Amino acid sequence: MDKCQTSIQKNKNLSRRDFIKTTATTAGVATIATGITLTTYVNAAGENPVTNEKRWGMLIDTNKLTEVDIDDMVNACQEEQGWGNEAHSTGNQKAGWIKKVKVKDKATDRISNLALMCQHCDQPPCVDVCPTNASMKREDGIVLVDRHLCIGCRYCMMACPYDARSFVHEALTDQKEHMPRGKGTVEACTMCVHKVDKGEKPACVEAVDSDAVIFGDLHDPTSKINQTLKRVQSTQIRADLNLNTGVRYSGI
Amino acid sequence: MSIIRYEQTQGKSLGFYTLIAGLGAFILAALGSVYFMEHNGHHVTGMSNRIVWGLPHVFALFLIVAASGALNIASIASVFNKKIYKPLSRLSGLVALALLAGGLMVLVLDLGRPDRLIVAMTEYNFNSIFAWNIILYNGFFVIVGVYLWMMFERRMNKYSRKVGIAAFTWRLILTTGTGSIFGFLVARQAYDAVIMAPMFVIMSFAFGLAFFVLVLMASYKWTQRPLGDAIVNRLSNLLGVFVAAVLYFVAVYHLGNLYLAENAGVESFILMDGGIYTQLFWYGQIVLGGVVPLALLYSPATKGNRSMLGLASVLIILGGIAQLYVIIIGGQAYPMELFPGKEMLEGYGGIAAYTPTLAELMLGLGGIAVALIAIAYLVKFLPFLPESLADDVADPHHKN
Amino acid sequence: MKRLLIVFLTVFLTSVFAYADKHVNLGDRASELKEEGKSEDIHPDLKEIRIMHPNFLMHKRDKTLRQGIRTKRNSLKACVNCHSATDQNDEFMPIDQSGQFCSTCHQKVGTSLDCFSCHRNTPKEDL
Repeated sequence: MDKCQTSIQKNKNLSRRDFIKTTATTAGVATIATGITLTTYVNAAGENPVTNEKRWGMLIDTNKLTEVDIDDMVNACQEEQGWGNEAHSTGNQKAGWIKKVKVKDKATDRISNLALMCQHCDQPPCVDVCPTNASMKREDGIVLVDRHLCIGCRYCMMACPYDARSFVHEALTDQKEHMPRGKGTVEACTMCVHKVDKGEKPACVEAVDSDAVIFGDLHDPTSKINQTLKRVQSTQIRADLNLNTGVRYSGI
Repeated sequence: MSIIRYEQTQGKSLGFYTLIAGLGAFILAALGSVYFMEHNGHHVTGMSNRIVWGLPHVFALFLIVAASGALNIASIASVFNKKIYKPLSRLSGLVALALLAGGLMVLVLDLGRPDRLIVAMTEYNFNSIFAWNIILYNGFFVIVGVYLWMMFERRMNKYSRKVGIAAFTWRLILTTGTGSIFGFLVARQAYDAVIMAPMFVIMSFAFGLAFFVLVLMASYKWTQRPLGDAIVNRLSNLLGVFVAAVLYFVAVYHLGNLYLAENAGVESFILMDGGIYTQLFWYGQIVLGGVVPLALLYSPATKGNRSMLGLASVLIILGGIAQLYVIIIGGQAYPMELFPGKEMLEGYGGIAAYTPTLAELMLGLGGIAVALIAIAYLVKFLPFLPESLADDVADPHHKN
Repeated sequence: MKRLLIVFLTVFLTSVFAYADKHVNLGDRASELKEEGKSEDIHPDLKEIRIMHPNFLMHKRDKTLRQGIRTKRNSLKACVNCHSATDQNDEFMPIDQSGQFCSTCHQKVGTSLDCFSCHRNTPKEDL
């Protein structure tokens, strides 16, 4: 009899306890949940993320490109992105986002000049090997280094088939406002993503300002680059690696 | 074979403290080098945008590869049930962990941003073999730690075989992963070869055992404990087999590369006209690291002689460092073939120059010092070493 | 129990920083805006920006870098442009320098500042 009563009492107590528990937890969850939503950053400003609707690419015609053009491209890139005047680095330690390359065909002795920069591959080996996801490809095809995550292991530099990346070997000051760069991280041509996002063209393309270097959306059938690629012969450097580069060359 | 008694070392002699002081000096020098390189940036090193991994990485990878090989002895005892190696299992696990700690220390301290190690631990790209290696290295610490616990704790001894098998599998995957760091790189002629993965596994056998033999002989000599010939001769023969296996894999790797016309360039670079790299390959890796040790280990004149065994082990280690130097730095020095069939006149190409600096060397040596100081302290702290490894104690086939 | 109380009190007191403390060196443009009474347009809640600015900056950097969303809100550039101060020669001083905007709080609470090893620490030249 007693046991029955106590068990009934216990049941009552349990249900009261249960009630308190559930209300407290619900109230707590509700408060925390609203707190979380309040602190979630809501992007109201109207800019949307880039999508893979566009794919940015470049076509460099080595037949039309002169050595002076290439020097202009290199200078424009240095001016725009703020590299090239590292005081303490020597020789191969200096940054080299874009290089002038001169090749001679062994069979015909024909010499070609071209500008070599990050090829913005569709299957970038640098993105595959980066341990922290710092090396990344944007939806619109531009390959970048997220220097917030870069630990400076340089594995991407080992993996890059085009020797396109540079490591910052010293402390830097007076960086360009739109191009943060710092000691101990890896960097490369960004295809002037800060300009492209504003609807402009990369600095090297603007420096040449002729048909020798065409920049545009590879996916857009009306774009100049798309139409030119359909007309003239073009190739990727190290095409056998099947990386589907965004930068194409004709005349080599 | 009688019951093995394990005993901590005394660790109070003048010799012990001199050893600690000496190793400590190397570690301080390494830390100083790290501060120097980190504070100024890598421009003070010999590394550049063409040679991105230099001497520190040679030492780091050597230690990491040797670490997984040092666990072999414990594995042979637990997994393959060879009783004669059983007393050595604890020391084997310790040497493995110590070498790995030293190697990882060097690797992490050479990062451009070592302060971002937490980022490396939390942001993972599972496509990257490097990220997989980070998981494998951390897991190795855990598994070998558990394995040692199984061996120390008598109640757990019955589980040590199962954990031993797990540890053995894990270290095979780990060393395959380490070799794949290079084997997966399609961009460079010297690396694009799957055989690098098993080659690294075999290299780990040789380097790890060489280290283990030196640590074993030194610790028994310096604590004046008996170390019988039965064990030493077995280890000596095993070391010889591993060195021969490494030579075999190196031969297959190079012959394979020579067969492919597209890789002829890097082969003639390493084998013939690569200057320092050719010298290190032939004299360092093949002769000093392979042929001479084999002669010392098997020739009737020197077989059974412990000083010769010690010398052979040292040469194997030096040869291993030379081998990794040729692989890592030689592989980067040789330019990539950007335009097949064309000659590069300007802008890229040519053999990249690399001169190691003192800071890099001190960092690498500091890694070895860290490994050795860990071993020296831990054998004093815990009973890793059997009190006696004399033949009548250790040899299961000994006739009394 | 006592230990818990001490922990709670410490956390409580240090969070006071977010509520108290006027900025010693707000920066040239920011001081102007404050005098004009416009600070609430930019930072509606001082407590919020003080506590949450690392989070805001972190989310914003991912949006900008990985998704290409470039807005002025929570942009580090915008912070630097407003909160930098000039010296007697009318030249901008680095914002992370001792005694300038960032350091006055960061030195007090003892957290390190990593942004400006890479990011430009003064406003653009032609500003």
